Amino acid sequence: MFGADPLLRARDTAPLAAERRLTILYDDRPIAATRDDTVTAALLRAGVVATSRSLKYRRPRGPFCLQGDCGTCLVRIDGVPNRRACTTAVREGMRVEPQNRVLSGGPDPTALVDRMFASNLDHHHFMVRPKLVNRVMQEVARNLAGLGTLPDRPAAPARCEEHHPDVVVIGGGRSGRAAASRLRAAGLDVACLERREHDLGTAVAHAHAVFGVYPAEGLVAAMDTAGDGDVLRTYRAAHVLLATGAREVMTPLRNNDLPGVLAARGLAELLARTGDVLACPTVVIGPPSLARPLAATLGADALAPDEVRAILGGGRVEAIATSSGKREAGCVALASPAAPASELARQAGAQVQWNGDGFAVVRDADGRCGAGPWTLWACGEVAGTTAQDAADDGERVAAAIVAAHRQGTIR
Amino acid sequence: MTQRIFVCRCEDVTVAEIDHAIALGLASVEEIKRYTGLGTGPCQGKECTVALVRLLLDRGTIGADAVQPFTARPPAEPVTLAALSSLATKAQAQDEP
Repeated sequence: MFGADPLLRARDTAPLAAERRLTILYDDRPIAATRDDTVTAALLRAGVVATSRSLKYRRPRGPFCLQGDCGTCLVRIDGVPNRRACTTAVREGMRVEPQNRVLSGGPDPTALVDRMFASNLDHHHFMVRPKLVNRVMQEVARNLAGLGTLPDRPAAPARCEEHHPDVVVIGGGRSGRAAASRLRAAGLDVACLERREHDLGTAVAHAHAVFGVYPAEGLVAAMDTAGDGDVLRTYRAAHVLLATGAREVMTPLRNNDLPGVLAARGLAELLARTGDVLACPTVVIGPPSLARPLAATLGADALAPDEVRAILGGGRVEAIATSSGKREAGCVALASPAAPASELARQAGAQVQWNGDGFAVVRDADGRCGAGPWTLWACGEVAGTTAQDAADDGERVAAAIVAAHRQGTIR
Repeated sequence: MTQRIFVCRCEDVTVAEIDHAIALGLASVEEIKRYTGLGTGPCQGKECTVALVRLLLDRGTIGADAVQPFTARPPAEPVTLAALSSLATKAQAQDEP
């Protein structure tokens, strides 16, 4: 239901200064937002949790990770489909629309797919023969499974920029920021690339989503969609430091995809950044060592995954079925040991190893993890450190880069 | 709604579907990815790869020593074809005398 049961609310109930207030449109209805909000923060405060439908079973979906990793907060913004609501900053008058729905308003007839195929839907065997049936099925499936619909108008070409810093730091979190400021203090020219529009700390110049590391071309490529037009930036540097951090891993539970199920890590960061508090009964589900402290911080309850039978609800979280009964909940935060975010490191040619939680970058004592057109380094959680140790690790590796760079310059 | 346990929400791949693939004789991360489509949606495996590995280790179809994720390829973030093509257009303009 629209505007019902907000997930978040501002801690401070005093009215905001006029210059901090703005309005966006969701599905043609006005929603109050605060400057510096992400689209997702504004929507969760307005009680909007479901913003699209899934491709196969046509189940309602909304934001989960809250940090630009997962693929389910994609919405249409100002006529452009597939924009990540959780990393996009609000702008006055921004038009946000749900996507992957068949009809606007009223129930979606394709939701029946979820009930019709109560067991597995194996596309290798489903309606494959005869040929005609397969052709019809393919046509229907293609139309349903597309991501959004075409943009209102063709995209304008992006502006291209080339940069040649001494060091590219990928990631502007704890370790990346610490490393970047240490490198700058030593007089090096540093590009610190952070993809989150709203996370622009002092060491982070702009919103940069690194989409590719191309060792053969010696190139790091990033998109910036934050300003008036898209900018594609390429970087060539002597050193590339991977500081991409770690992320929540999906916990296997019944209905773990319901709108209102959020990643605990992302939720805690969102609340810390916006100063919001939870506006509905919330349960953190995860191993007690992780879930209990988080629940205490958030003002929520904690449950272990094996106590949970299912998350319940129609279009969003309504309750949790546990081994000892049913409890009401409007929001579920899933906590699991974070896994290193090592895709870009692997693109760059670094080796990774399973460390029990995920795939961590393998590096030497200084932090080096590869060579090629540049020297490749890794610091912080992507290399397997804890979040607490990430900043120290960033500084340590930055010091090694400074030493290596000076040696290289002298030679 | 039908109660399902999701490993990959982008491509709607459930634990039951992965068990179905295992029953068909598939075991590794790469095989399960190719059969179920897991990891091929908008997040490109960021949410599901490790969840799959944890599941396969639990099922005993793979070992922790040698397990590797599937190949990581660009784009790791959404990027429009218009943006990529502007880079190509620029390179072409530079190559021409």
